[in-house]
Amino acid sequence: MKTKNRLEGIADLLLEIASILMVSGANTNRVNVNIDRFASVLDCESYSLISQKTIILTVIDNETKENYTKVKNLPGHKIDFTIISSISKASWKAIEEDWTLSQIKQEINTVIEQKRYSNYIVLIAVSFSGAGFCKIFGGDYLNLALAFISTFAGLFMLQSAHKRHFNSYISVFLASLTASLLASIGVYFNLGTQPDATLATSVLFLVPGVALINSFTDFIDKNVLNGMVRFANGLMTVLAIALGLFVAMLIFQLK
Amino acid sequence: MITTLLELLEVSAWAGIAAVGFGILFNIPRKAIFTVFLLGFGAGFIKFILLHFDINIILASFIAASFVGILSLPLAHGIHQPPVVFSIPAVIPMIPGYFAYETVLSIMSFTFLDKNDSKRIVFMEDIFSNGFTMLFILISLTIGVSLPLLLLRKHTVKRTDN
Repeated sequence: MKTKNRLEGIADLLLEIASILMVSGANTNRVNVNIDRFASVLDCESYSLISQKTIILTVIDNETKENYTKVKNLPGHKIDFTIISSISKASWKAIEEDWTLSQIKQEINTVIEQKRYSNYIVLIAVSFSGAGFCKIFGGDYLNLALAFISTFAGLFMLQSAHKRHFNSYISVFLASLTASLLASIGVYFNLGTQPDATLATSVLFLVPGVALINSFTDFIDKNVLNGMVRFANGLMTVLAIALGLFVAMLIFQLK
Repeated sequence: MITTLLELLEVSAWAGIAAVGFGILFNIPRKAIFTVFLLGFGAGFIKFILLHFDINIILASFIAASFVGILSLPLAHGIHQPPVVFSIPAVIPMIPGYFAYETVLSIMSFTFLDKNDSKRIVFMEDIFSNGFTMLFILISLTIGVSLPLLLLRKHTVKRTDN
């Protein structure tokens, strides 16, 4: 009976780790590798079926060959590379120092409680990258300033929509609409040398880069189902962005 | 010559800033921020120099992304972070946003605005050329970033027995 409880604890822990890795934007192979490492530290084998919304995981005790299977539903995705990095580091340390179950649990708890950058820092940093994009596509500094402002407003819209728990595609649509409406003003009054570049780059902060890159890495690893799901999610986001851009351009009657 | 080089450096610096901005959106660890800037800057510089010499943008993106992918392995060892943490933000500035925008624009003009057949053929061509350039740049970015990782996965850079 004692081993049964221990196995349940291990299954819970591994599911927790897999779920936060998946939600933070790790690709499927990375999730598998990390779970395997932790399982080997705890003297178990683990087999799992990982999808975007659910994880099924079986742990088998190496000595008694007892097994335990559990299913967990995943919360909404929120990309967080600090978590991926810390869990990866923790898995190496666990192997080196041969951690126990409670030690790993404690480490995972501290990892989860790490703070994110505050919303204001994110707003400013992402607005600077919007300006950077505009520069890359040949805008002058007036275009850059407008790209900065539109990105700022768009991201602010996205964060507010997230806070009110809107559907994520609707949030992206609203953000894209806000950003491209502001940028369209520049095109309408022909501000700067390349107002088109401002309009094109004002919505780039919404592009689901991580989802698309992960989808192709999953394809290369032959995790085809997960790759397809990520690609479809990315495509839906791109459609939402395009729709926002459409509406703004129709309103301003651009070309 | 000097002015061109300075311009290239300026644009590359903005590419680095864009990479850091995305890094912060993805909540990268503080220690990785400077690395992300350098990688974004380097990748941007390589891409813009190649474009300056009239090399196809797909190939240029692939080479720049490979630069990030290969360099991220020793860097990952150096600052003790997994490579994805800085390789993904560093290639984000190369995401083909402008081609996506042009594609959407052409689709919109094709569907809603123009009823003139000869113009519609021009839009059709725009949709295909921009759309496929976008797709191939995306694929080359992914492969460039992840191929070094995939090739070296069996013997991971970091060793446990040190």
